[in-house]
Amino acid sequence: MIAFTLNGQQVEFAGDPETPLLWVVRDTFKLKGSKFGCGAGLCGACTMHLNGKAIKTCVLPVTVAAGKTVTTIEGLAGDHGLHPLQTAWITHNVPQCGYCQSGQIMAAAALLEETPTPSSVDIDRALSGNICRCGCYPRIKAAVLAASNSEAGAGDDEPALFYDATGQGGQA
Amino acid sequence: MTTLSRRRFLKTSAQASGGLIVAIHLPGCAFGGALPIDVADDGFVPNAFLQITQHNEIIFYCPSDEMGQGIRTGLATVIGEELDVHPASMTVVSAGSHEDYNNPEYAMQLTGGSNAVRAFYLPLRQIGADTRALILQAAAQDLGIPTSQLTTRNATVIAGDRHYPYGDFLVTASSLPLPENTTLKNSRDFQFIGQEITRVDAREKATGEAIFGIDIDVPDQVAAVVVRPPVAGATVTSFDPTAALASSGVLQVVEISSGIAVVADSYWQASRAAKRLQVTWNNPALSTVSSDSMRADLTAALYDGDDAVTDDTGDIDSALTSGAPPPQVIMHSAEYFAPLLAHAPMEPVNATLRLRNGEADLWTGVQAIGAAQGLIERITGYPRENIRVHNQYLGGGFGRRASLAHIIEVTEIALAVNKPVQLVWSREDDIKHGLYRPASLMQLSAAVDDTGRISGWRAKRAGGNLTPDYMRNSLPALMPNLPEFVLDGLTAATDYWLSRWSIDGSSVEGLHETYDLPTRQISHVTVDHGLPLTFWRSVGHSYTGFAVESMMDELAEAADIDPVVFRLKQLESKPRMYEVVAKAGELLTAMSVPEGHFLGFAAHSSFATDVAQIAEVSVTDNLIKVHRVTCVVNCGTAVNPDIIRAQLEGSVMFALTATLHGKIDLAEGAIVQSNFHDYPILRMDEAPDVDVFIMPSDEKPTGIGEPGVPPLAPAVANAVYRACGQRLRELPLRLA
Repeated sequence: MIAFTLNGQQVEFAGDPETPLLWVVRDTFKLKGSKFGCGAGLCGACTMHLNGKAIKTCVLPVTVAAGKTVTTIEGLAGDHGLHPLQTAWITHNVPQCGYCQSGQIMAAAALLEETPTPSSVDIDRALSGNICRCGCYPRIKAAVLAASNSEAGAGDDEPALFYDATGQGGQA
Repeated sequence: MTTLSRRRFLKTSAQASGGLIVAIHLPGCAFGGALPIDVADDGFVPNAFLQITQHNEIIFYCPSDEMGQGIRTGLATVIGEELDVHPASMTVVSAGSHEDYNNPEYAMQLTGGSNAVRAFYLPLRQIGADTRALILQAAAQDLGIPTSQLTTRNATVIAGDRHYPYGDFLVTASSLPLPENTTLKNSRDFQFIGQEITRVDAREKATGEAIFGIDIDVPDQVAAVVVRPPVAGATVTSFDPTAALASSGVLQVVEISSGIAVVADSYWQASRAAKRLQVTWNNPALSTVSSDSMRADLTAALYDGDDAVTDDTGDIDSALTSGAPPPQVIMHSAEYFAPLLAHAPMEPVNATLRLRNGEADLWTGVQAIGAAQGLIERITGYPRENIRVHNQYLGGGFGRRASLAHIIEVTEIALAVNKPVQLVWSREDDIKHGLYRPASLMQLSAAVDDTGRISGWRAKRAGGNLTPDYMRNSLPALMPNLPEFVLDGLTAATDYWLSRWSIDGSSVEGLHETYDLPTRQISHVTVDHGLPLTFWRSVGHSYTGFAVESMMDELAEAADIDPVVFRLKQLESKPRMYEVVAKAGELLTAMSVPEGHFLGFAAHSSFATDVAQIAEVSVTDNLIKVHRVTCVVNCGTAVNPDIIRAQLEGSVMFALTATLHGKIDLAEGAIVQSNFHDYPILRMDEAPDVDVFIMPSDEKPTGIGEPGVPPLAPAVANAVYRACGQRLRELPLRLA
């Protein structure tokens, strides 16, 4: 029996201890927001927080979580409605297919916990383990900057407007 | 107001609508019959696309599949514009399988080819306008006020200072005929079209609540994994299930047409057991093919094969005769290569099927739900009306989810297992057992005259065709009752016809259409190795754009003409692309780049949309780095400029993966790559900034999901040439 805290609740898993945490969360506890993308820790779609750190869970045996705290996208905002990153994600129209976004947001949230005002390079470093096949990277970065307290993010709430319905066109 | 029973309401709406319930009626093989709509107790269904409840919930049944391209938002905007309902106030859901949802250009339910906004733009506006007119007539009757004194705003009817929800007038509306041909709005009066409306799926995709096919969890479902042959087309000669059956959680091992299925309590258990399965396979013809031999075959075909000519305009032989007298000044010829590619959508393909009491429920995310329904009908023999397809969000499509091998697999497994089955492909399955963008070898030869115009253009492509595999995949689905031998005969005939007498349009598309090329010859040599091939975002343009736009820069340099000016000279009869290239040229001229950065230009027309791109590139230590890409696009009316920008950003990233990394190799017929370590996808630290300039237009909207892909690779290659003098004519780009 493996006991851990999942999104603030004590849970127990009685199955095969080799089962990756991702599948325990998805199949046993029915939280489907964390995704299966590669099964090899290469794409980050399965990213959760383990004791507050971002970790890829598709190859992480559930035993590693014993006695620890696991947070998934479903538990990120707690009782606060939306996490600031989720608000920024919506404002910036970040998602396309959306499949990788839970993992992107969890990786970004762990970054902001450690580095509240990340630079562009900090974001590259923290999020390069998360693949987005739709290529939402520029918007992901803009949303992380907007959600952070960094100066680069300030005033970046509006997406660059490069369109002008008056017929003149416009440049960012 | 009387509350109507569900039954009465359904009946009423059917009577009221009569033939009008069939909104966009086209011939085809899709299923008619009752609409796949759960009508609420207080719901009114005026047509296949809308349900309005007395609580004023407006449900829009979106006929196209949402795979990230923003189609739910786009089409909700289009219908909402005329219905006078803000897209954010609608509940947008995926339509079920029914001929009323057929894509008007395809006569079937298929999402692909960047045509959904283009094809549904007028039909959905008409349905929105007719439905609004119906509500207004009902309101006029109920309120005793003429329609001329009524107006509407965001799902309410306004009479003087009184506001009434649309839902107040449903009883009367259901007794009136749906008006037809209601006048559409003038574009001056648009309130939603042209606005940057937030995606209707943004919130649920930011909270993890969005449901994809893989998230479906029906009671008692079991998990299945299929072990497939290393070489496509091989079949099982023998297998030993003992070790797999002994693995924990395993319920059954079943032979199906594509391989051996391992069924277990959970995916992880099935996947672990599948690795313990012993299978031997036979060796199909493909098992003698490697990447090198495939390339050699393409070369032999390109130069020695019998080509089929698709377009022969003017006297190409004289135009390209070496040493011809002036005005010809430049002759140039070059060969370009693009490799096999996989799609690698983030969500591996999957399907969940429940067969129960002669009824089937399929939960999946595919680009062709009618075909999925047809396949289940063919395999189970169930009547079509007993088969329901619940299409979920697609975790990426890019063409991959128009192919339905996984639907055949899950149906065969579900017939053998007396429980609902969820089949999930692993990432390795996805990379190794999919369908691929065909490898292509192209030779382009051109002459330029003393005015800088191209006076002769010959383009020849050698490679595989997509249509035969598409036929093999689609015919059984579209014609479920056709016997197997007839299907075999039809696909064989298509193969033969395309390889001998005709040309598969998607094999050569993009080889000449962007420019004025009055004297030209386009030809093709089919080389079929038996590897399954399919559509890959921007299809033929994904390789022809690279060849043509690299060649344009080579010709411009040979003629000593600025590459933008050179292109403009070939665009005199194509005003829309002329303006796009001119605008991009203007932006390029105004750019200042840091030392060591170089700009490359390319433009390409595809899916009725014109795109030009400028790539800012540096080359250091043999490493190509793309810093910024500026896009200029004309896609007609910009229904949602922010989604258009997002599609171009995404297209740049998708194409940059192919430009810098993308390559699928074959060794003894088997795919060499297996996961993201050896089939790398562009990551955040390699992503360039992207700027998008949308040309203002009042014309009908055109495609946006794909046209941003083709110009990127040549824009980068043209910049690399300027940076280091190396002309790279093969993808992915590799410096010497």
